[in-house]
This record gives sequence, C-alpha cells and structure tokens, in this order.
Amino acid sequence: MSGTEFVRMKNGSRPVDEIALVRQLIAEGSYEQALALLRSQVAPAEDFSVQAKASRLVSKIPASALGKPVRVALLASSTLDQFSDLLKLWLAFEGFAAEIWIASFDTMHAQVLDKDSELYRFQPDVIWLFNTHRDVRIEVALGDTSGVGAAVAAAVAGRTSLWNALKANCSAAILDNNADIPVSDVLGNFAGQAAWSRRNLLRRFNLELAAAAPSGVTIVDFEHLSSEYGKRGWVDRRYWYHSKHAINFQAQGAVAFVGARTIGAMKGLAKKCVVLDLDNTLWGGVIGDDGIEGIRLGVGADGEAYVDIQLWARSLKERGIILAVCSKNEHDIAKDAFERHPDMQLKFDDIAVFRANWENKADNIRYIAETLNIGLDSLVFVDDNPVERNLVRQNLPMVAVPELPQDPAEYLATIEAQLYFETVSFSHEDTERAGFYRKNAERAAQMGTFTDQGEYLTYLNQTAEAGDLDRVNLARMAQLVNKSNQFNLTTIRYSESELIRLAAGPGSRVRYYRLIDRYGDNGLISVVVLKKIGESVLEVDLWVMSCRVLARTMEEFIFNDIVGVARTLGCGVVLGRFRPTAKNKLVAGLYERLGLAKVSESAEETVWQLALDGDPAARRTYVTAAHVKKGELADA
Amino acid sequence: MLNREEVVERLNHLFRDIFDDDDISVTDATTAADIDGWDSLAHITLILGVEREFRIKMTAAEVGSLKNVGQMIDIITARG
Repeated sequence: MSGTEFVRMKNGSRPVDEIALVRQLIAEGSYEQALALLRSQVAPAEDFSVQAKASRLVSKIPASALGKPVRVALLASSTLDQFSDLLKLWLAFEGFAAEIWIASFDTMHAQVLDKDSELYRFQPDVIWLFNTHRDVRIEVALGDTSGVGAAVAAAVAGRTSLWNALKANCSAAILDNNADIPVSDVLGNFAGQAAWSRRNLLRRFNLELAAAAPSGVTIVDFEHLSSEYGKRGWVDRRYWYHSKHAINFQAQGAVAFVGARTIGAMKGLAKKCVVLDLDNTLWGGVIGDDGIEGIRLGVGADGEAYVDIQLWARSLKERGIILAVCSKNEHDIAKDAFERHPDMQLKFDDIAVFRANWENKADNIRYIAETLNIGLDSLVFVDDNPVERNLVRQNLPMVAVPELPQDPAEYLATIEAQLYFETVSFSHEDTERAGFYRKNAERAAQMGTFTDQGEYLTYLNQTAEAGDLDRVNLARMAQLVNKSNQFNLTTIRYSESELIRLAAGPGSRVRYYRLIDRYGDNGLISVVVLKKIGESVLEVDLWVMSCRVLARTMEEFIFNDIVGVARTLGCGVVLGRFRPTAKNKLVAGLYERLGLAKVSESAEETVWQLALDGDPAARRTYVTAAHVKKGELADA
Repeated sequence: MLNREEVVERLNHLFRDIFDDDDISVTDATTAADIDGWDSLAHITLILGVEREFRIKMTAAEVGSLKNVGQMIDIITARG
C-alpha cells in the first residue's frame, strides 16, 4: 500500500491496525507518514510497553529520515537504558535523529571532571545530568536548624562545580534535574514544618539550585514532574531494588517528552504563535447567530471555562507568544464582540492578525504566517471543530493542531499537556513581542497606501542602534542566536558564555542591532558574529535577524556596519557563507543582493566575498544610524 | 484461573512482538539463552509487558529470579 492509499484509508473510518500500518509504511520507506501516524497513536502518558514498542519501530527508520542529528549524553547513578529508548522516540517526534550515549553507572563525577573522558570524546550537543533526590546529599542533624543554610549551600555548590567543569571542557547545553522530593519521611506531616527535615532540605535545595543555574544550564523540574505524575507512583520500588531504576517506567515517557521538548526549545523549535478560532473556542455559541447577548461567556459553567481560556491566551501573549484569530465569521460582528462584550478578557489589540471571513482556514493560516513572517511550523491552531482541525492537518501538516475534548472545561489541560511553548530563557523582549507584531500589522496596513516602497520606507523614519555585546543585551542576543531559523545564514548556535568569549577575543566582534521607527521600538532584531581570519579577511561567522523587520533595508544597514568594522580592523575583504537548511531559503540570495561575489559553491555552503577597495559605495538603506555604542565587555 | 495453553498463546504473541521474531514459540523450558535478544534490558521490557498483558504484579524478587518461561506461567496462572 502506498502512502496516498494510506491517507485514503484513514479518511474512511474503517478500523485499522495502526501499528501494523506503521510497520508497513516503514517497510515501504514512507518514513514521514510512519512517524506522523505513530505520533498520533502515542501520548507521553501512554503505557511503557506501548512506548517501548513505538521506540523499536522508530529504530528501524534510518537516521537521515528522522531529522537533524543531536548527540545526547546521559549521566546518572540510576539505570537509564529504557529511558534512553523513550528519549530517542520523543526526540524523533520532535524532528531529531538522536544519538544517545549513557555513561557507565555512577561515573558522573569522573566523566565530568576528566577532560579526556569518554563523555567529551562523545562530543555531545546536550549533556543531561540525570540526578534524582537520591543524588542530593545534605547532612543535617535532627533538630539542627542553624546548620541548614550551610548544608544546602554545600550541596548546591557540588552541582555548580560540575556545571562549571562541563562549561570549561565543552560547549554542550546542560540539563540537570532538581530533586524529586520523596513521599516517605519519618517525621510524617511535621516534615513540612521542620527546616532540617529531608523534605524541607530538598525544597530549599531546589530553590537554591534554580537560583544558581547560569545561562546554558537548564533545570529539569523533577519535583514538578513527580507531583504531576503522582508521587506515590513515581518510583516503583521493585525496580529500584531489582535494577536501580529511579523512576517508574510508566512515568518515563512524560520525562522523555519534557526532555525532548526542552532540547527542541534550545534549538528554536518551540511554537511562537497561537491561532484561535472564536465560536465555541473563545466563547460558547455562535456570535453571528446568537449575538453579543447570546454567546456564553463569563456566566454559567461553560461561560466561566471560556473566560479561563481567554485569560490563558492573554497570559501567553504577555510572555511573548503571538495571538492570531482565524474564524468563519463576519469580520465586523466578530470584532464587535471583542470591543463590546463585558466579559471578554482578550481585547482586539491583543490579536496580532485577525482573520474573520468565509475563506478556508488553511488559506487564512497561511496568510497569518506570511503576515507575521514566521514559519508555519511555529503555529498552533486551536479550534473546537474537528472538520476544521482535519482540514488544517491535511493541508498544513507542519502546523500543530491539538485534538480538543468535547468539554471546553478540559481545553486548557489538553493544550498545556502538549508543552508547545517551552523555553529555556526569558528576556525583556519577550514581554514586548506581541506589541511588536501588532505594530507590524499596522505598518503593513499603512504600506498599502503607498505605491512606492521607497516612499513608504522614508515615511517609516527608521533609525538603528548598533553596538557591541553588553550585559544588558546578552540574554536577548543569545535568544535570537539560538531561536532564529529563517533569517540565519550559517545556523551556528552560541550560548551566552560563548558569546562573551567571542566578544572578548582579539580577532572577533559580536554586534547587535536595534531598529526604531515611527511606530516605536522594534527591539533588538539582529546579531552578527564577525571573525578576523588572518590579516585581511573579516568573516561573517553568524548573522541572524528577526523576520519582523524584513524588507526594511535593515540588511543593507547591517552590512554597511560590517564593512565599517572590517575597515576598522584593517581588513580588505568581507567573507560570508550561506549554509542551507530546511528553513533558511529566505536568505539564500542575500549576499548576492548585497553585492558580494560568489567564491565557491557546494551542497553544504556557498561562500561569498566582497573586496573593500573595489567597493566604495555603501549599500542603499532607508535606515540611519542612531548612535553607535562602544562595548562594555568589562561589565559582561 | 487461566489455563496454561491460553497463557502460552498470549505469551507467544508478546514474545514475538518484543523480540521482533514471528517464529518464536515458547515452552515451559524456554530460557533467556534460547531467545535472541533476551538480555537483562529486554527482560524488564518483557516483565512489564507480562504485567500489562495479564494485569498482575510481580514482586521484586520474582523479577530477578525467573529461571524459565514455566516459572513465569506458574506465577501468571496462580495470580491472573
């Protein structure tokens, strides 16, 4: 059976043995469909046996068909072989071909501290210190309240010294688990009260561990995961005694899922935008039929559930997730509900792109992604109607479409369980992002009134600030470097500490750009890393830019700045590379457009260069320099 | 109480699935040495599969001391 026949069978509602189908799809080489079907059959909370079986199936798919390679090292004083299989499965669902190396039992310290160890020879992208509460040694005598602070600090210091060693020896991202506080405690309820009880020591340890984690270290919240799973079942003591498995097999899928999503977030795969339906998604009833007085919102049981859904969407917006609306409705009637219904928690201004019309939803979603300049694969589409969900799934398989339950009271838990919006950092920019996108929509509307692009850009009155890496901008710069997929010439990722190191190096510069225009501040929207090669070549090692500011001649401004840096450093040539990925086609022609000449071309990269003595004219830009800051690296 | 033939049939299904070999046919005397891939890791996957299939729970000691499929069937028939 071919893949298309398979899709037809799925459309008819005949019962099929899904696992047998997956097997068949793999056998005929339809890997993508096999993975998608398998993913629809397996949830993180699914029985271990089912997930183990899914993992065995995935192991038959060649790595090249699974996605981007990622090398993960696991270190623990518990047994992780089965967990490793599940992690591989969930990483495959996330789009990674994972190679996982497990350190010999209980060799974490030796592996981390010896810079020639197997761990470093494995050259991991991610190192997961798979600690549990059993690995947290805090010695405090019963009743010794005064000894608590120092004892907890010592335990935290033990972990930070491991992190520091890892950071000194390699550039892998680090995951470390906090303590999954066990249910059993000899003090019973009083353990919650005594500062020196094991339970409270671990609570305090968890808080201080989080506070001590530097950039590049992500704490996996084991305490939360164990609570969410149910602490009584979290450890199956039989398998601790028998084979040193620290977590119940039935809980391991959920842990693997969090791990995979977190690694995905590090690599820029977290979702950026929620596209919301209106009728029976943000309120009960149909606004076109029932009117503002008739929809259920704020009053009655489901009316309250819809209020919570809106509050959830609003808090997503506040943390930097873009909101869009895609609804089959008359635009004015739908908009009116936002403006006049007293219980609406979302305001019309909260929505970056508002599409209420009678066109098909796949087209509307495409329009939304284009308007926002973000990839379709960074969208989540929330709609109560299974017909619309399926239409979008079939036409836009890269859009995440959660299956919603019947009852709106259960919408939130269902969506949140998907962990679409994981992040490993937070910057001031996140809180302002929604506003940036809304203003962009206003700009787009204004642009329609100009017939000439130059007139429009002049009208925008754009100024840009360029500067060297400093402490204030560090978090946002690292975020941009690690999240940008589309406007990204080389897709090299650097952590905060690597950026600091590069900025301090004699032959390298790390610069940021901020764009301001008539509508306000667009924020820090671009980062370049420049490296001097030999005496006279300046290489653009990395260049990322937010797609929010495309087609504003910001690229030209930035390149002029790069040329300026080259001249300051005494370089006669600027060299740039374009390394194609699945997502960065957008910038394939950038260097050509900027006037560079192609030096070489291969499947992996094209190399471009510009000789400065033969290039007197700067590139035409409608962005003027606001002010160029000197670096403040001493602070960073 | 489950009869042994029925248990063997369900076990065969489980073994074939876990060890990815449709030719497996277990008997009381079958041990780990008889089946390709039945190592200590697969043993746990197998036990978890048995626990799920027959809705039973083995003790920690039983997990570690099963000598052959016959003992497994004894536990399943006694408890299932």
